[in-house]
Amino acid sequence: MRSQTISLFRFLMLGILSKRLLVLVTIMVLGAVLSGSFINELAIINGAAIQTAFVADFLRYSLALLALLMIATSVAEDYEFRQFERLLTMPLARWQYIAAQTLVIACLCLLLTLPAALLVSLYGDAAIGLYWAAALWLELFLLGVLGLLAILSLEKIPQAVIFSLAIYMLAKFSGLISLMLSESVKLSEGSVGSRVVEFIFGAILYVIPGSKTFAQNDVFFASQDLIAMLGSQLASVSIYALFLLAVCLIDFYRKEFNL
Amino acid sequence: MRRGERPLLLLPRPLLLGFLVLFVCQLFYHHANRAQMAVDYQALDKPLSASVYRGIAMGSEQLLGYLLAIRLQLHDNQAGQHFRYSLIDYEVLIEWLDRITELSPRTEYPMLLASRVYTTTGDQARLRAILGFIQRRFDDDPQLHWRRLAEATVIAKYKVHDLELALAMAEKLAQLPVSVEMPNWARDFQFLLLAELNELESAIALIQALLQTDAVHDPDEKRFLEGKLLDFQQKLSESRQTPQN
Repeated sequence: MRSQTISLFRFLMLGILSKRLLVLVTIMVLGAVLSGSFINELAIINGAAIQTAFVADFLRYSLALLALLMIATSVAEDYEFRQFERLLTMPLARWQYIAAQTLVIACLCLLLTLPAALLVSLYGDAAIGLYWAAALWLELFLLGVLGLLAILSLEKIPQAVIFSLAIYMLAKFSGLISLMLSESVKLSEGSVGSRVVEFIFGAILYVIPGSKTFAQNDVFFASQDLIAMLGSQLASVSIYALFLLAVCLIDFYRKEFNL
Repeated sequence: MRRGERPLLLLPRPLLLGFLVLFVCQLFYHHANRAQMAVDYQALDKPLSASVYRGIAMGSEQLLGYLLAIRLQLHDNQAGQHFRYSLIDYEVLIEWLDRITELSPRTEYPMLLASRVYTTTGDQARLRAILGFIQRRFDDDPQLHWRRLAEATVIAKYKVHDLELALAMAEKLAQLPVSVEMPNWARDFQFLLLAELNELESAIALIQALLQTDAVHDPDEKRFLEGKLLDFQQKLSESRQTPQN
């Protein structure tokens, strides 16, 4: 069983690698380096720290988008070319496909994280570079699993990418949205409508990743306990990723394929 | 051999007319554009609250603080033109500086912009406003901002010509506890300004206190203080003798 999953993983990984991954990553790294140098030129003080933090965030968001697109495209092609129907005629369980895809996401994130780790270590401290690589890997992995769930459920690339980005952004902007909602409750003098919306958003926050699940960019400006931060992120990502994988399995097992 | 040229008047009339029309158009366009550029200064918008910026930062508050500071620093450069600082509304500018400081409290950037960039204006009211900002924000983190207050003291003395204000700032520096690491010259501002204000007795008392409390360990600093003490004592005795003479 394990060898079948590994074979499937290899097959899927080759599919991802054949999508000009290296060229795209090189373009992103080049963009990060150039824009980072520009920011460094503009800064009067702390130019190096600002440049490193900017490059790190630039790579975070561009690589997140790339990872999401790669995963969505890979699964969408399986739908388009009726790969699932073919796979299910083989002695292969559905969970093995999810397991193979999870391995693909983990390896893809590792590949994407390497240039970020090298670049951040080159600009700044090696310890911070290592922290950023590990934290970014966790963030990308979580987003990848979210993308897998979205594409398995929605089956179309645009919808899946928009859905995943919406959840990602919702998690990132949750602080701002909560603030806006609490202000609206105050402005409307505690009207029922505002309070209901605030309550609903509060409930939604329970099923989206919290702020601790993301890499913390402030490490580039102040010394912080990197191990503790990484530990907290690991715990948060592990729980949420497992929850998402469980939803993926439920959704995938429920799907009808015309064999 | 130089090729001969036909007189301008012999050229086809439509060509000459076209040239003149286009030349006038170019002059008008440039003039209108210049006037337009002067009018086109985009004033600073009021900043949002710090909590909104924290929400927008997506977890990168410090980076956003620095990027906002760089954006503010570039505000006087618009459409390839550099605008005078006298066009900037310093009230809004100070609001921005406050907001950036609230967003990333450990940064020196807003204070540096205030003391080095925005004090280059010649407008006294604007200078006073920005010095007020430095004086106020200094209390947040004296260890981080003592240089800016020292610079502000010099600006208050030489650009604003307000010795009282300079003295108030110098007092803040001198009264910092010894735990705040800064060179002795920063603490010396106070008695130097007191002497300038002709308050020689106070300046002498301060130097004597410094020498007696054993707060100064550096022999060069000690020599400097002793020299100043003698200098001030001499000036004081001279000033006392002058009315008698």
